[in-house]
Amino acid sequence: MTIDLPWFAPLGDSAITATFGTEISAELSERIRQAADRLRRANLPTVQDLVPAYTTLTVYYDPLHIGFAELAGRLRPLLDAPVLPDALSTWREVRIPVRYDGPDLNEVARLSGLSPFEVVERHSSRWYRVYLLGFVPGFAYLGDLDPRLVLPRRGAPRKVVPAGSVAIAGAQTGVYPLNTPGGWHLIGRTNTVLFDPELSEPALLRVGDRVRFDAVDA
Amino acid sequence: MITIVTAPPFLCVQDLGWQGYRASGLPPGGAMDRYALSQGNILVGNLPNAAGLEWALGSGSIRFEERSRFAVTGAVAECALNNTPVAAGQAYAAEAGDVLTVGRLLIGRFLYLAFRGGVDVPQVLGARATYLRAGFGGFHGRRLRGGDWVRFLPSDASGAAPGFQIPAELRLGYEDTTLRAVEGPQRRLFDDAVSQEFLEATFVVAAASDRMGYRLDGPAIRPRQTATLPSEPACPGAVQIPDDGSPIVLMMDGPTVGGYPKIAVVISADLPKLAQCTPGRTIRFRLVGLEDAQKIYRRQAVQLHTLRQLTQP
Repeated sequence: MTIDLPWFAPLGDSAITATFGTEISAELSERIRQAADRLRRANLPTVQDLVPAYTTLTVYYDPLHIGFAELAGRLRPLLDAPVLPDALSTWREVRIPVRYDGPDLNEVARLSGLSPFEVVERHSSRWYRVYLLGFVPGFAYLGDLDPRLVLPRRGAPRKVVPAGSVAIAGAQTGVYPLNTPGGWHLIGRTNTVLFDPELSEPALLRVGDRVRFDAVDA
Repeated sequence: MITIVTAPPFLCVQDLGWQGYRASGLPPGGAMDRYALSQGNILVGNLPNAAGLEWALGSGSIRFEERSRFAVTGAVAECALNNTPVAAGQAYAAEAGDVLTVGRLLIGRFLYLAFRGGVDVPQVLGARATYLRAGFGGFHGRRLRGGDWVRFLPSDASGAAPGFQIPAELRLGYEDTTLRAVEGPQRRLFDDAVSQEFLEATFVVAAASDRMGYRLDGPAIRPRQTATLPSEPACPGAVQIPDDGSPIVLMMDGPTVGGYPKIAVVISADLPKLAQCTPGRTIRFRLVGLEDAQKIYRRQAVQLHTLRQLTQP
């Protein structure tokens, strides 16, 4: 049996989630990003917000003006389109300078069987894709990490991770925009501002952007 | 303009929050009880999304520095203007020098003060809500303290005549804490028996409940297998089930995405009732269909519209 993708499901009474697949991949992420772009350009008056994620795209709407089935019917032709070659799409390249002096750097090196220097080398020598923003404003889930650096989250999350901490967990890496609790391994710090509410586009990163970390002196 | 004479432990500026920034990770935020703030605004002649004060956790007082109209909605407390009792859900006129005192909150958790014109703080990303977690919006991104003062935006709307009361049928009671919910996107990750248990159980709102989310104590609700899902968007009202089986209902400042399975989503119209539950209150969930949920949503919108019509001369 094949399932017609994307398939739609309600998220409460004011949102609809379109699921495009089940396995996380850059290809699927790109497809969802392009669908979100098309939807944004279509500028449907009933759509209040939309969020592309790993395998899903969620559309928030006002049920005062439209019901679930009617909205799903309008979304389907917009979401169901062939994927453009990546080169034609509009992602940006963002470089983030990092002082690799995080409190967990040595622990990460020990757990991954590498030297701290090699951890830094591997973390800072590739481009990461922005898969998702969330958790707190401006927090971007970046992947994919070098397989040697893939570790489970810390057993005990920290109550406060300082803003600007560069961290890894699983196949992901990211930067904490605010002081928040967190369970990722902290390997460095940056002064780059990830979220600035004074800007009309407050988040530095968008889904689909490419991010690279540059090691700078502590 | 008003001056905060004595602030309660929690007092901040809120409107109906942000729209269009979830893809940046910014949740909707805004008043925990949107219905109460909207009603207060309508009483004083504002649009429902004007900024008011969200008040919780204790008593305090404010002083009017100019003539104004105000209303107190949401949680119930013993309130007085100078020494005259002030009723909930009623339009009042205040003169310069009048002092409004709000006593201990007796019923509910968040009380709203709406003023004619609305509180004048700079808009951030199109809203006047306070996002305390990141310290922006509202009054310098923080709670109000004694000695702070805020201005109102100019308004020539009259609003309801002083003395007008919200009719009983348009008020939202906070006594009934059965929350209507629709099936969550990951309902199928739970056995039918577990879903049934979720719907039959009584949960207690835990102390660790705030503007981000309400934690619930009760029977452990576990999915068939602990599934780590790719993080996907969530919304206020989403009932997430973390690994320990204790549900967390996301609220206005909650994360925009989450990886825990969502067994149910509280309908928008019942979120105010949940918001008003203090720690220790018991709640239950009742399943409704999506079409019914959206009908109830529209009915609540009509109630606000009706109130608006009743208050206009």
